[in-house]
Amino acid sequence: MQALLSFDQAPPLAAPLRFFLTAPLFAILAALLLLWSGPDLFASRWTGAALALTHLITVGFMLQVMLGAMLQILPVVAGANIARPQLLATLVNAAVATGALLLASGFLSYQPLLFELAAVLIGGGVALFIVGAGHALYGVPSTNATIRGLKLSLLGLTVTICLGVLLAVAIDGSLALPLMQLTSIHLGWGFVGWSVVLLAAVAFVVVPMFQMTPAYPEWFAGRFSWTLLTLLVLWSVADSAGWQCLSPWLAAAAVLAIAAFAALTLQLQSRSKRARFDATQHYWRLAMLSTLAACALWLAASSWPSLGERSEWPLLCGVLALFGGFMSVMIGMLYKIVPFLVWSHLQNLGRGRVFPPNMNKVIAGHQLNRQMQAHFVALALLLAAVLWPEWFTYPAGLALLAANAWLLRNLLAAITFYRQQRLTIEETLTHVSAAPAEAR
Amino acid sequence: MHEISELMTKDHRSCDDFLAVVEKAVTDQNWQLAQAEFPRFRDALLNHFEAEESILFPLFEKRTGMYQGPTQVMRGEHVQMRQLLAAAEAALAEREADDYNGNAETLLIMMQQHNVKEENILYPMCDQQLADQLDALLPELQKQLAG
Ligand code: HEM
Ligand SMILES: [Fe+2]
Repeated sequence: MQALLSFDQAPPLAAPLRFFLTAPLFAILAALLLLWSGPDLFASRWTGAALALTHLITVGFMLQVMLGAMLQILPVVAGANIARPQLLATLVNAAVATGALLLASGFLSYQPLLFELAAVLIGGGVALFIVGAGHALYGVPSTNATIRGLKLSLLGLTVTICLGVLLAVAIDGSLALPLMQLTSIHLGWGFVGWSVVLLAAVAFVVVPMFQMTPAYPEWFAGRFSWTLLTLLVLWSVADSAGWQCLSPWLAAAAVLAIAAFAALTLQLQSRSKRARFDATQHYWRLAMLSTLAACALWLAASSWPSLGERSEWPLLCGVLALFGGFMSVMIGMLYKIVPFLVWSHLQNLGRGRVFPPNMNKVIAGHQLNRQMQAHFVALALLLAAVLWPEWFTYPAGLALLAANAWLLRNLLAAITFYRQQRLTIEETLTHVSAAPAEAR
Repeated sequence: MHEISELMTKDHRSCDDFLAVVEKAVTDQNWQLAQAEFPRFRDALLNHFEAEESILFPLFEKRTGMYQGPTQVMRGEHVQMRQLLAAAEAALAEREADDYNGNAETLLIMMQQHNVKEENILYPMCDQQLADQLDALLPELQKQLAG
């Protein structure tokens, strides 16, 4: 009730934007890393450069976008208000960004100290966010699938990070832990327990709402995240206990559930009542197709040993999931969230007397489409680079660089637009209020 | 126990549907159809606002004593949506597709985030607080929604 009373108090514009602007910087770093390390990066998923790349995207890009979006979304879907959003955003953003940089340098140099510092900063930053958001969410009943999904994905994130921190501390061999197993459990929780659960929680609301599709069936939306997390827990237990007869089946069940989610989303999208497909919708469709492809590849590699032995398939799965799936949805969502936020803040500044231009004017439509095409090309080239590294690594690096520099450019254009319009609005308002005085 | 939620949520969805019909016509450059369909959307949305502002919200405010709370925020958003609606209608009259699409898209997002707040928080509270008045309230709401 207390939270509800103030549920118009959206956080200031700078709070979420700080996270959104940091994200493309990390994708740019990932592209530079690719260009710097060259084809060697794709030798296996275990090269330092591949691990650094993975975390530049997961912790550097995805985590930043998620935190910024949560900050904005919690007041809307849950009526939950975060105290001191500006301060919380600054601290969390700085800690997670620095941590991601240290983690990537850790993977490139294998200096234990870098891993430890990264663990403290990322762990601390996310813990701070969870305390801040959790405080706001406390007492808000989980009345719908979104709130439940968001809470569950925070849980998945926490487990992922705890395992990551454990790995980071154990990496110098001091703790005699089964590192390979821990890594695969960390990976499972990162991709499934955090990322897919988050993706689904967002999809259940956003797809029907903005793409005007029928709703996800109740039985599916209500059970999906729980089922996935239960499978994940069972799989983690089976895997660490070494029950080799059980754990592949549990993993396969989880992958099938994810594939069902992606297929269902595509099917709903094909029934969209909207006449025009914009960049966001194309991004969503690409993401679901990539997710489906990643699941199919995973199942194929686990069923046919001759395929499963090759070192390319995990990298292909990783590229499909990260660049094709999660990043695509996130960029697509940024293209709605950022223009709407800018419009809505300008609207409030105008106090009902001056009206800002509509949200499609915030970032020019053709810039969105070109950036999207660059992203699609980057994805195709990255997939090709996994298979033929000598040929495609450099083109892929360049395309990734271009796509994300463009993304940054588009987000900065939104901020420039905001600043210009704010000036116009303030000028008009002073004229309006001065006018009656002059008339007298 | 969810009668108010159900009724009002269903009406949100039908407003969405009317908007989609106009969008389709604009995309097909069938301006005549678009201009013929727009009033159906406009009236549905305005009737919905009216039902809330003149029937549902006052009852809720009286019952809970919360005059400056969520209902006030919702009224403020209705004002913004009325402005977007007017801008979209003007663009339609001028046959400016880009302008229409921009205003309609902004309106759509505004509507959706507004609806989420109502459907998740405000309507369930109304269901709870106004359970004893349903017999009189529901027909009145239905009548206003129908216009
Ligand atoms: C928050 C989301 C995170 C995700 C999605 C994620 C994802 C991954 C993935 C996919 C791998 C396996 C790479 C492979 O098998 O090719 C991995 C390994 C690893 N991650 Fe993370 N990670 C996250 C956070 C962290 C954090 C916060 C840390 C440490 C502070 C961390 C430390 C590690 C370490 C040490 C490894 C193992 C590397 C090795 O054994 O050589 N991760 N992570
Ligand atoms: Fe309303």
